[in-house]
Amino acid sequence: MKGLVPLFLGIFGTFAFSWVGLTVIPNIQIGALNPQMDEEGTDIYPMPQSGMAARGREVYAANGCIYCHSQQVRPDYASSDIDRKWGERRSAPRDYLFDRPVLLGKERMGPDLSNIGKRAPAEGEKPASPPVANAPAASPAAAQSPSANAAPAKPAGGAAPAPAAGTSPVQPPPAAANLSPAASASPNPNGMPPIYSYTWHHLHLYSPRSVNPDNEDSTMPAYKFLYEKHPISGERSANALELTGRDAPPPGWEVVPTYDAECLVAYLMSLDQSHPLKEVRSAAALAPAGSPPAAPAGSQPPAPAPPKK
Amino acid sequence: MTPDIDIPLKEPAVSAAASDAEQLERARIDASTRVPVLMFYASAMAWLLIGTLLAGFVSFKLHSPDWLSDVSYLTWGRLRPVHMNVMVYGWASMSAMGTAIWLMARLCRTTLRHPLIIVTGIWFWNIGVLIGVIGILMGYSTGYQWLEFPPYAALVLFVAYAMIISWAVLMFRFRRGEQIYITQWYLLGAFLWFPWLYAAAQAMLFVVPVQGVMQAAVGWWYANNLLFLWLGAIALGTAYYMIPKVIGRPVYSYHLATIGFWTYALFSSWTGMQRLVDGPFPAWMITASIAATILTIIPVATVGLNHHMTMQGYFPVMRYSPTLRFTVFGAMSYTVFSVVGILISLRSTARYLHFSEVSVAYSHIGLYAFFTMVMFGSMYYIVPRLVGREWRYATLIKLHFWASAYGVGLMSLMLLVGGLAQGATQNDPSMSFIQSVSSALPYLRGRTVAALLLTASHFIFAFHFGLMLFGLGRTSTVPTFLNPVEAEGSEVQL
Repeated sequence: MKGLVPLFLGIFGTFAFSWVGLTVIPNIQIGALNPQMDEEGTDIYPMPQSGMAARGREVYAANGCIYCHSQQVRPDYASSDIDRKWGERRSAPRDYLFDRPVLLGKERMGPDLSNIGKRAPAEGEKPASPPVANAPAASPAAAQSPSANAAPAKPAGGAAPAPAAGTSPVQPPPAAANLSPAASASPNPNGMPPIYSYTWHHLHLYSPRSVNPDNEDSTMPAYKFLYEKHPISGERSANALELTGRDAPPPGWEVVPTYDAECLVAYLMSLDQSHPLKEVRSAAALAPAGSPPAAPAGSQPPAPAPPKK
Repeated sequence: MTPDIDIPLKEPAVSAAASDAEQLERARIDASTRVPVLMFYASAMAWLLIGTLLAGFVSFKLHSPDWLSDVSYLTWGRLRPVHMNVMVYGWASMSAMGTAIWLMARLCRTTLRHPLIIVTGIWFWNIGVLIGVIGILMGYSTGYQWLEFPPYAALVLFVAYAMIISWAVLMFRFRRGEQIYITQWYLLGAFLWFPWLYAAAQAMLFVVPVQGVMQAAVGWWYANNLLFLWLGAIALGTAYYMIPKVIGRPVYSYHLATIGFWTYALFSSWTGMQRLVDGPFPAWMITASIAATILTIIPVATVGLNHHMTMQGYFPVMRYSPTLRFTVFGAMSYTVFSVVGILISLRSTARYLHFSEVSVAYSHIGLYAFFTMVMFGSMYYIVPRLVGREWRYATLIKLHFWASAYGVGLMSLMLLVGGLAQGATQNDPSMSFIQSVSSALPYLRGRTVAALLLTASHFIFAFHFGLMLFGLGRTSTVPTFLNPVEAEGSEVQL
C-alpha cells in the first residue's frame, strides 16, 4: 500500500461507520424514551428510584453482583426465562429509563433479578396499588420493615404464603414459585422467613448457603462485611438478624445490617418489571385489562399459555 | 507471491550479506527504543504476575466462595474486575504498546525520538492502572464491564496514552521508504482506534451519559472493539512481522493481506451487540452484530491462509525458534477464537450459551491463546535485541510454552464444556436453577488447575525475563534455540 492518506481515511472511515451505526443511531432510536403513562397522566412507569434504593444500586455495582446476576428477561421464544418465573414479559428498553449504571449482566451463576422485588411476599393485606407499587415502594418497605417485619419474622414465615395460596388455588403463590417448582410446595423448610422477603434477603446476604438446604452448591459469597457484629447494649436492635447454627453470634452479641446492607436490600426489593408496557406483549396483558397487575392476577395467565404452543 | 512489491523483510535470508551499514542502522534504531520498550515490558510483566495471582483467587473463590470472603476488598465481585482490568490495561495494553513501538521504529526505519516523553507516559499509565485498581478494591467500580476503573483513573490513562502514542505515530513523518508494510497498517489503525474508542466510551458513559440500556450497548461496543481493534490488531500486525521475519521469507500474498485488513476493520468493529442477544434492544442492532460476527470469517480465512502459505514448508522451524512457536500458536488461536465467536453468537446457540461460562472461555481464547501468546513470541524476539544478550535457558522457554499452551487449552476446554452443561440446564425450566450451578462446578474446579499451570508458566517467564533485564543472559551471537540445531537449521536466523 502506498501513501498514508488512503490508509488513514480507511482507518477513520471504518471506525466512524461502526461508531455511528452501533452507538449514535441506536441512541437516536432508544436513547430518549419517556416513561409511559395513561391518558390522565397517572400510572406512570417507570419511576426514578430514590433514597436508599438508589444508594443500594451503587452497593450492587461496587461489589460486583453484576458478574453473576443478570437483570433482563429474554422473550419466551428465545429462552426459558419466563418459564422460570423470572418475569411475566420480556424486558424492554423503557424498563431501564432511569438506571445508571444499567446492570443488565452477562452471566448467570445466580438467578435473574429483574423482578426480585415483585416476587417478595406481599406484606400483610396491603398489596400496594399499581402506581405506588414500583419504585417508591422500596423506600417505605425498607423504612418500615425494621420494626414491622423483623420482629414477627418467624410467625410470618409460616403465615404469609397461606393467604396467597387461598386466593389462587391452582397456582402456587408467585413468591414461592421461584427456584424450583418442587420446592415451592414446601415454602419454608426449617422455619426460614419467606423467600425474597426483607428478612430473607438479609439472612441470604449474610450467609447464603444457610437459608435453603438445596442451596449448598450456591457459589454466592457471603457479604458479612456489610454487617456489624457488636455486643447488645440495652435492648436488642430491631433489625438484628435472626441467625441460627454456625452463624449465630455469641450470647449477648447481635448482628445488624450496616446502612449499605439496608440500601442493598431496599434496592433488591425495588426491582420490579411487572408493570405492562405498550410495546411488549406480556402474559399479564392477556388478562382483562382492568385487573391490576397484582400478584394473583399476574401469576395466572402463564398457566393457560403453554397449551397454545 | 508478489515479487514486485518491496517488502522490507528480505534481509533475514540474506542477513549474512547484509551490509554493515544496514546492521549498524538497525542497531541504532533498537538502541533508541531500548529504555521505553524495556520499561513497557517490565511493567507488563509485573501486572501479568499480579493479574495471574488474582486470576487464581478469582477462579478458586468461584467454587469455594467462603474463602477470604469476609473482607470487603477481597470479595469475589471486586477481585474479578480487578483481575480483568489488570490483565487488559496492565499486561495486555502495555506489552502491546511496547511491541508496537519497537515494530514501528524498525518498520519506519527511523530512530524513536523523545523516548523520555514515552517513559513519562509509561509512568503515568502505570499510575493510572494502579489508581483504577485501588478504586475498584475500595468499592468505586463504575459497574460497566471492561470499564470498571473510576473515571479519574481513565483520565490519567488517557493523558499517558497521548504522551506515548503521539511520538509513535509521528515516526511516520520520518519514515524512510515509500512502502508501508502490512504490520504498519494494523499498528497505525490500533494507535488511532484506541483513543477514539476510549474517549467515545468514556464520554457516552460518564461525561454526557446516554440513557438506560444504551449504556450497555456502548459498553459492549467498547469491549469488543477493544478486543479486536486495539489488542487484536496489534497482535495480528505482530504476527505479520514475526512469521516472515523468522523464517526469512516474504509474506505469501500482499493482496490477501489487504483484503484481510480492510474486512477486519470493517466487520470486527461492528461486533459487540451479539453479547446482548435477546436483551432489551431493537432486534436490528443484535442482528447486525451477529451478521458482522459471521462475516469476520473473511478476515480470518484470508489472514489464516496467508500465514499458512507463508509458513508452508517452514513448519519444522517451530522446533527451534521460540518466537515462531509462540507466534504460530497465537495465529492459529486467532482462527479458533473467531470460529468460537461465530458459533456462540448464533441465536440458536446463544439461547443456551448466552449467560453461561462460555463467554468467559471466549474472552480467554481471544486474550490469552491468541493475543498473549503472540506477545510472548514478540518478547522472545525483541528483548535479546534490546539487552544485547540471548535467553539463558532453552528449557525454561520450553516449560513456559508448554505450561501456557496446556494451561490455556485446559482452561478453554473446561469453560466451554462446563458452560455448555450450565447453559443447557439453565434453559431447561424443569431443572431448578441451582442445578445449573452444580453442573458447572466440577469444570470450574478444573479451571483452577489450569490457572495453576498458567501461574507456573508466568513465573518461569518472569524469572527468565528478569535474568535478561539484569544482564544475565548468554553472551553469544547465536540466538537460543529450543532444541539443538542440526546442520539444516543453521541457515535460518531465529
